[in-house]
Amino acid sequence: MNSRKNKDCRKQKKNTPLQDKPFGRREFLKGAVKAAALGSAAMVSGCGTGLLGSSEEDSLRWKEYFKKHYRLMTQEEKDETVRRLERLARLRRGVDIQMSSKGPIERILFGYAFNLTRCEGFMECVAACVKENNLDRKSNTQYIRIFEMEHGEMSPASGNSKYFHEVPVEDHFYMGVQCFHCEKAPCVKACPTQATYREPDGIVVVDYDWCIGCRYCIAACPYYGRRFNWNEPYVPVNEITKKQHYLGNRMRTKGQMEKCTFCVQRTREGRLPACVEACPTGARVFGNLLDPKSEIRYVLKNKKVFRFKEELGTDAKYWYFID
Amino acid sequence: MKISAFKTGRFWILFLLLLIFSWGYAFSEKDSVVEIYKNATAPFDDEKSVDSILLIPDNTVPVETKYQGGFFWTETRKDKIERFKCSECHNNKDVQIARAAEIAHGDIILDHGGQDKPLSCYTCHKKDDRNFLVTEEGSKIDMDHSYQMCGQCHFRQKKDWVGGAHGKRVSYWAGTRVVKTCTSCHDPHSPLFEKRWPKTYSPPLVN
Amino acid sequence: MIKKPPGKGLMAFFADIIRWNLSGGIVYQLYLCVLAAFMVLGVYAYFIQINLGLSATNMSDIVSWGFYISNFTFLVGVAAAAVMIILPAYIFKDKDLHKVVIIGEVVAIGALVMCLMFVFVDLGSPLKAWHMMPIIGIFNWPSSLLTWDVIVLNGYLALNLMVPAYIVYCHYNHRKPDERKYRPLIFISIFWAFAIHLVTAFLYEGLPARPFWNNPLMGPRFLASAFAAGPALIIMVLVIINFTTTFKIEAQVFNKLRRIIVVSAIINLIMLFSEIFKEFYLPTHHSLPAVFLYFGLDGHNSLVPWIWTAISMNLLGTLTLAVNPGRNNPKVLFPACILLFLGVWIEKGIGLIVPGLVPSPLGEVVDYAPSWVEVSVTLGILALGVFVVTMLIRPALIIEERFGVEQGT
Repeated sequence: MNSRKNKDCRKQKKNTPLQDKPFGRREFLKGAVKAAALGSAAMVSGCGTGLLGSSEEDSLRWKEYFKKHYRLMTQEEKDETVRRLERLARLRRGVDIQMSSKGPIERILFGYAFNLTRCEGFMECVAACVKENNLDRKSNTQYIRIFEMEHGEMSPASGNSKYFHEVPVEDHFYMGVQCFHCEKAPCVKACPTQATYREPDGIVVVDYDWCIGCRYCIAACPYYGRRFNWNEPYVPVNEITKKQHYLGNRMRTKGQMEKCTFCVQRTREGRLPACVEACPTGARVFGNLLDPKSEIRYVLKNKKVFRFKEELGTDAKYWYFID
Repeated sequence: MKISAFKTGRFWILFLLLLIFSWGYAFSEKDSVVEIYKNATAPFDDEKSVDSILLIPDNTVPVETKYQGGFFWTETRKDKIERFKCSECHNNKDVQIARAAEIAHGDIILDHGGQDKPLSCYTCHKKDDRNFLVTEEGSKIDMDHSYQMCGQCHFRQKKDWVGGAHGKRVSYWAGTRVVKTCTSCHDPHSPLFEKRWPKTYSPPLVN
Repeated sequence: MIKKPPGKGLMAFFADIIRWNLSGGIVYQLYLCVLAAFMVLGVYAYFIQINLGLSATNMSDIVSWGFYISNFTFLVGVAAAAVMIILPAYIFKDKDLHKVVIIGEVVAIGALVMCLMFVFVDLGSPLKAWHMMPIIGIFNWPSSLLTWDVIVLNGYLALNLMVPAYIVYCHYNHRKPDERKYRPLIFISIFWAFAIHLVTAFLYEGLPARPFWNNPLMGPRFLASAFAAGPALIIMVLVIINFTTTFKIEAQVFNKLRRIIVVSAIINLIMLFSEIFKEFYLPTHHSLPAVFLYFGLDGHNSLVPWIWTAISMNLLGTLTLAVNPGRNNPKVLFPACILLFLGVWIEKGIGLIVPGLVPSPLGEVVDYAPSWVEVSVTLGILALGVFVVTMLIRPALIIEERFGVEQGT
């Protein structure tokens, strides 16, 4: 049993060019630690079959357990894990998904602007986001919160996010809040495993499978931008968005952190995030901050913009403006 | 005793160095995002950079006004009007039949301009060439370019629309700029959005 | 009376430890059974939590840290407080405290074990904890304060295990321990004790997102409350030892500990007053967590009775210990210490963590009370801590007592 585990680890490690060395003491230690971790895994999960690798699913999960942080994977390893995850989705849920591991594009820094005058609180964006990002329907996870606020105050704390009545209401305005993809993100700084990190195109993502679920990032986030999978997320099979990205809308499991990724699966292919596309009033502007002729740059140059809680120095890439 | 004191001292020097180094690391600052984007002045070619970008879809026309980056396209209007061309019914003369407007266009609720300056049909529609709109100055406007019509009064919105702060792009942020036209979202006869129930709601939190 | 030394060596050492721990009267056996029952309950509840996910707890995206982290925070203080005995015992060569220093260290070990367990059960994906280990995982040091905490907690645990183990092992073998060997470790452990508490305070203090925590008084106040609650716990343990074993503790020890507690508790109260003044003299939006804690907000007032109980207990305990009506009589000391200990527990536990998270950064207010799973797991971990302390203290005291007799002191 033990030797089997070590062999498995070694096989894994062989894939990395850096560690293509004979089986050394360090390698052995790594294997031993992992084996120990698995021993406890067996104890906790209480199922022996999961460890023996008897079925295809178990062996895939076994390999998934030992994979590296996404950022440290070579492209081949990324392709491998993506293939494994596609296969697992087939085996476990019976859906054929297409998962991408498309990397960031050069000279792109994504930015977002929200027009406070235009938003009328229809919440089309929230629904589109839930659908696009395969958010848990059981606990009703939502990345976006829309606050109905009275004129005179500019703080969601005085607003109401739980409204459900005809909108827009007289003398009220609406403010959408989601992850602001801070350049100096407190969550990135806080994460003990670097499971959450900033991609070169500016989005702050979570490597779901690397997250240990300590939730220090929730405590560090001043915008309530992060969500935790308290239970095993559930999405009806026929509602699963099949076009997925490793860092984006692929299925999460319980105990993992997740968050808005500016719909990385869409935006890296030039498409708009689901919330922007769904917005019926055009209150949401999205684009490349490094492109001088982009809409977002027009907004930043020609409108009076502000950022929420700017005093915290998070340097968010999400601006509010008023017509 | 002396040896241990010396050892302890060395430990502390090491520890302090480590501390200083790590604090320096922790407090190292990057450029702020405002600096970053202000310095980015070179044009960005999305056609080259982004793999899958939108080809100009059908049912769009090039906008006659230029925006900062050059040409852009907008959705057409004519193909969305049920009984276009208008000239199939109308000639260039006034309709003489009584209550004809009510019978033929009764579905249209005209609520544009408010109570102070209510608009009538002929504020926008060209009386003697029904396929077209007409500006205050009398020049003919193609239905597909109705933004020129709206922009007469709503010049601020038009400026924002051309720039990108009003209205929205169609599906893609990259590639050829294709935006929705005014009438894609606004009913030209009653342009304010109607009140309605939100699509969903944020569930009450745990307690 | 010098007995023939029993079999020396490590194996015999451990064999004796196990033998001594298992032997005992019926009351002792019952006591072990009760602890075991609580631990089994904890394991059972933890299995439920593993199966359901953390939704078995009452935590939510708003109150993302609850009972576990509250207890963790408080117990870090208890662990750090051992320094209040180590410092006078080893550095100022205080003879009285030197006799009980081992008890302080063992209490610290127990508290640290509980701390690490509380962090572990709070993890959403405990099986992936290896992602955090250096070399095989990614250890985000020095950026993440959580990694600092991992270093200081484990380091302190190692220090507190090594020194007493070495001393006790020497005594077991009828030798005098070589001071040159362990003295540097003692020095390090003194600074380390301050470090574990400051780093844990910085964990919260370093979050501008949470105005209730982002407060420079956090670290010092952590220390003051810990140096009150920790020695209070040690007094309680000493009283219990005094009553249940042949190991007798002199009144002098109680008096010295009492003084330490009184000074720390008074400093703690001054800082508490300073905090309350800051929050309520000219309240801002950043005072809302304090309002929530002390008076309730928007009808959510689950913490209000707790915090006022805690403050009353704090005041009463401090006053009793300061006036010292019983002349160090354990019958007065004991309840006063319990009062103080529980007061700090509530205040530095749930009264510190939950208001940091409520209202949420977007101003939403929710109530939080631990679920039965959380309470059971917590009880299990506390039982484990008590068990560890018992298992370490019994052999240590037997060896120390025997060695003391041999040395004729």
